[in-house]
Amino acid sequence: MRAAGPIRGVVFFGLLLALPAFGLQHWALNMLVFVLMYATMASAWNLIGGFAGYPSLGHAAFFGIGAYAVAIMFSGRPLGSGYGPFLVLPLIGLLGAVIGWPIAAVSMRTRADVFAIVTITFLFVVQTLAFNLHGVTNGSQGMALVPPFPAATFERPFYYVLVGLLALAMGVTVAAMRSKFGLSLASIRADEDKARGIGVHVTGVKVLAFTVSVGITAMVGAVWAYYESFIYPQFAVDPLVTISIVLMTFLGGRATLWGPVLGAFILEGGQQSLAYTLGAINVYLIAYAAVFLAVILLLPRGILPTIQDRLRRRSLRRDAAAAEPPIPAAVVAAQGGAGHE
Amino acid sequence: MSERTPLLAVEGLTKSFGGVRGVDGCSLEVAEGTITAVIGPNGSGKTTMFNLVTGYLRPDAGRVWFAGRDVTGHDPGRLYRQGLTRTFQQARVFAHLTVEENLVVAGGYGWRQVFTRRVRPSDAERAAGLLADFRLAGVSRLRASELSYGQRKLLEFAAVMMSSPRLVLLDEPTAGVNPVLVETIERYIRQRHGAGTTFLVVEHDLNFVMRLCDPVILMDTGRPIFTGTPAQVQASPLVLEAYLGA
Repeated sequence: MRAAGPIRGVVFFGLLLALPAFGLQHWALNMLVFVLMYATMASAWNLIGGFAGYPSLGHAAFFGIGAYAVAIMFSGRPLGSGYGPFLVLPLIGLLGAVIGWPIAAVSMRTRADVFAIVTITFLFVVQTLAFNLHGVTNGSQGMALVPPFPAATFERPFYYVLVGLLALAMGVTVAAMRSKFGLSLASIRADEDKARGIGVHVTGVKVLAFTVSVGITAMVGAVWAYYESFIYPQFAVDPLVTISIVLMTFLGGRATLWGPVLGAFILEGGQQSLAYTLGAINVYLIAYAAVFLAVILLLPRGILPTIQDRLRRRSLRRDAAAAEPPIPAAVVAAQGGAGHE
Repeated sequence: MSERTPLLAVEGLTKSFGGVRGVDGCSLEVAEGTITAVIGPNGSGKTTMFNLVTGYLRPDAGRVWFAGRDVTGHDPGRLYRQGLTRTFQQARVFAHLTVEENLVVAGGYGWRQVFTRRVRPSDAERAAGLLADFRLAGVSRLRASELSYGQRKLLEFAAVMMSSPRLVLLDEPTAGVNPVLVETIERYIRQRHGAGTTFLVVEHDLNFVMRLCDPVILMDTGRPIFTGTPAQVQASPLVLEAYLGA
């Protein structure tokens, strides 16, 4: 039982690392690059939006900050072997975290829907800055940094770097789930006032979760900017990015390790395939709305939690039948009808 | 510390909600090693006083001293780590955490322990001991949402004991709990009291109060109007007056 998790992880990442060796077409690798970007961002968002229950809609701002950071650092300068932008990723993650810290400290004085609105406001502030700070961002003219990689294997460096970032995001998630850090986040999601009252460091852990989350998001933004070669404000700081990662996490299952990854493979994979078959029209936006409605109505907790719950109930029933005497049932019986609920 | 310094002292505590004074110049003391009861009709300010003492509400006026220190307006989490803890009238537990995790999360950890294992063997051992005391050992792997209301009240009580508090404020511990569990609660309070923990209990079940508590403080319209032994309180005409109106 205990070894199942690590085995799953090794198989998953082993498969991901081996995939390019199977001679995939460019379109397939391109699709996987985007799937990995979204899987990483959804996993990162899950730290704060899933485990702590703070639905940030501002994550695309940090995606954009990462994108512009790498563009400002390398645009118009010789790119050398081409790996420079990858080497500065830790720095960009740190930058995202440093900017995220005060944003978290201020916005987390609010909760739930107000928090969502405060964070999306930040997104639009960053977008407006990207359009108007001509001296830094070149405004709507955009910025260019063209990777000097050979066309035959162009996607590979990005692909492997993103596998690494996904491993980082999922590794952080596992570490959180297995530590008191994750337990603290779970108590905040359930009842923050009560959590504060029993000595949980609520402000510290939620600000830390937000900071780590947006740091990873900024790194993905930097990889995206380099991969696209040209960045423009409306795509670098795009509310659709936020909506996608939120939707993926909701679909796969909040506060689970694999839920956001599953959601990203389904939605981003589906969207990219649709784009290839239907051409680059925005039909997928309608599909997004439909998926969102379906998730809310049919799977409000997401795919994985629903399945896990079914399995758990079955095993509880089995345990109860096997136990002698059936302890939970006995206690419930001793309780009689005293409960209010 | 001199014997005369009370563990908890409240002086002139006042809190208004709009035009209504929920707590009005309330002063009282809880001596270390007692099980002190606060009784009084609904709306007499008992729960508001609890919220002011434990930092969930900020008083408009007045001071709170705990263990000789002024703790007025302190953060509830800080007070909890200093040994002042409480339960809620409507049991507040973390529904999607397991019973065991509900206890472990209440351990009152410092920052460094935040990055240690979710449930260490030592945490599990400590939780198991408390769960056994509260007859919850058989359900430690269930989620709190799968417990009955009475069991949730026991769970909340058990959880706040994880930090080995000096003073525990219980807000109607027996409300909505069946007689078997009431007995469990009573036995447990006596046991912890014997081990040196001080209790302040808000309770409507006067039989429970008279069996267990001394002294008894009677509150009405936001302040204590009588303090005495259970026998004195029972004999006082003020009690009937407060509950039934003169």
